Amino acid sequence: MTSQDTAPRETTGRIWSPARGYFVILSLPVLFLAVFFIWPLAGVVLRSFEGGDGIFFQYLTVFERSSYIQVLGYTLQVATTVTVLCLLIAYPVAALVARLQGSWLQVAFALILVPFWTSTVIRTYAWMVLFQRKGVINDMLLNFGVIDAPLRFMHNNIGVHIGMVHIMLPFMLLPLISAFRNIDPSYMRAAGVLGANPIRAFWHVYLPLSMPGVSAGVALVFITSLGFFITPALLGGAKNMMVAVLIEQQVSITVNWELASALASILLIVTACLYVVYDRVSRRAGGGGVLD
Amino acid sequence: MTWNSSGRLARVFLVAFTVAVLIYLIMPTFVIVPMSFSSKSYLSFPPPGWSVQWYQTMLERHDYPQAFWNSIKIGVPVALLSTTLGTLAALGVVRGRFFGARPMSAVVIAPLMLPQIILAIGLYPIMAKFGLAGSYPGVVLGHTVICIPLVFITVAASLKNYHPAYEYAAMTLGAGWWSTFWHVTFPMIRVGVIVGGILAFTFSFDELIIALFLTSPETRTLPRLLWEDLRQYVTPIIAAATTLVLCISFLLFGAVALLQRRLSKASKS
Repeated sequence: MTSQDTAPRETTGRIWSPARGYFVILSLPVLFLAVFFIWPLAGVVLRSFEGGDGIFFQYLTVFERSSYIQVLGYTLQVATTVTVLCLLIAYPVAALVARLQGSWLQVAFALILVPFWTSTVIRTYAWMVLFQRKGVINDMLLNFGVIDAPLRFMHNNIGVHIGMVHIMLPFMLLPLISAFRNIDPSYMRAAGVLGANPIRAFWHVYLPLSMPGVSAGVALVFITSLGFFITPALLGGAKNMMVAVLIEQQVSITVNWELASALASILLIVTACLYVVYDRVSRRAGGGGVLD
Repeated sequence: MTWNSSGRLARVFLVAFTVAVLIYLIMPTFVIVPMSFSSKSYLSFPPPGWSVQWYQTMLERHDYPQAFWNSIKIGVPVALLSTTLGTLAALGVVRGRFFGARPMSAVVIAPLMLPQIILAIGLYPIMAKFGLAGSYPGVVLGHTVICIPLVFITVAASLKNYHPAYEYAAMTLGAGWWSTFWHVTFPMIRVGVIVGGILAFTFSFDELIIALFLTSPETRTLPRLLWEDLRQYVTPIIAAATTLVLCISFLLFGAVALLQRRLSKASKS
């Protein structure tokens, strides 16, 4: 070891401070995101004020045409329905999975995570195959005599909802399971000992304690559903269009970048507001915001 | 009826419901696999007969192999670049104690929450300006934006598992910046970094919307080719390609599961 190595840092003249070092480290990814994330978004917002007389021309077009309003309304409606369905389905399942132990827990987790790892294009394709006029689902329903003629699942509301709930369900299950695992089971026993029936104990003890998981899952599913593209584009019909599909069409078919940018800016603002609210709420709930 | 017996009934119902939901999550995807071995050109379940002709047809067409290699050529640089930048961001946010480190994490994660269509129509004109539209670097940069948060989340989680005192100890003992990172920090977050990298590759391998805008027919990825084929006709060739993609996804999923099991064992001992 040379004397230089053992010399106190201060004598070298440059006091090394970890905080300053980490600031330098952080600047690299932040610079990257500024160029390839913030700049493109700013570009979209700026372009939404161009291409017509008056800076709000595109926005006025969006809000004057009933077909565009319909798309925005339908997007909100689908996102809300999908979120509610996911919550209703995931809540009991997560409550059960959270109480599993050992290998059963691992199996359940694997089954929930596998869809996470399969591409949305592929999972939507699977639904297209199942939903065909002579597909598996129609065959089964016909064989069991539930229906007399094949049902239409594709190019309408039903297909979009089944497909989107299928894709969003893990996003609801995982925060719920982690919230349920944090609930001490002795609270429910205590409520029972003190005379509460199971329904009362659930309503006054379990449900309030599970709220952080509920709000995280609801926010995640709702925000993601608003911008859904692949599933509504393939399973949805021309009558019911979601806003991401409309944006893509405005660019690739109509080549109206300004109108597409206005629609994208509306989607951006709504998403960003929800994201900020969600971050605040989850931070107040005791977590460290989105990070945890 | 007592609470006890109705409770048992409720429990049976709950288990049945859970099993049904798990089947709903898993089954649809796997229906494709037997169909890819069908002997006929129409999709029916169960297939009327078995053959591997659709795999042969897929390999004989030049677009599927090309798209497959494009996806690899794009996914690997995305994984490397986003692993580097995501790890740096996690180090800076978790270890840095300066003003603005917390809100910064919200900015780093934002690309994951934002609808990809917005980023896609924002990136296209910029890439076109620099002549990168339709090129490999263009789509690599686009995917990296969304993959940085994936790496950031996994690495930040593993950084929080241990106290910065180890790093301060190393620095107090005279270790420089790089050797502290390489000998102290990195070994402790290695699994998080690798898992983040695999997640980033998987994301890029499966991503459609950015690829739709930023690739050309020469650089198009497998999801984009599947998408273009899907809109025209539903043949078993797509099922064959899909089965291959599923195999790769599950290999990566298995690798991550093994890594995480090793990590949890290491933290217990």
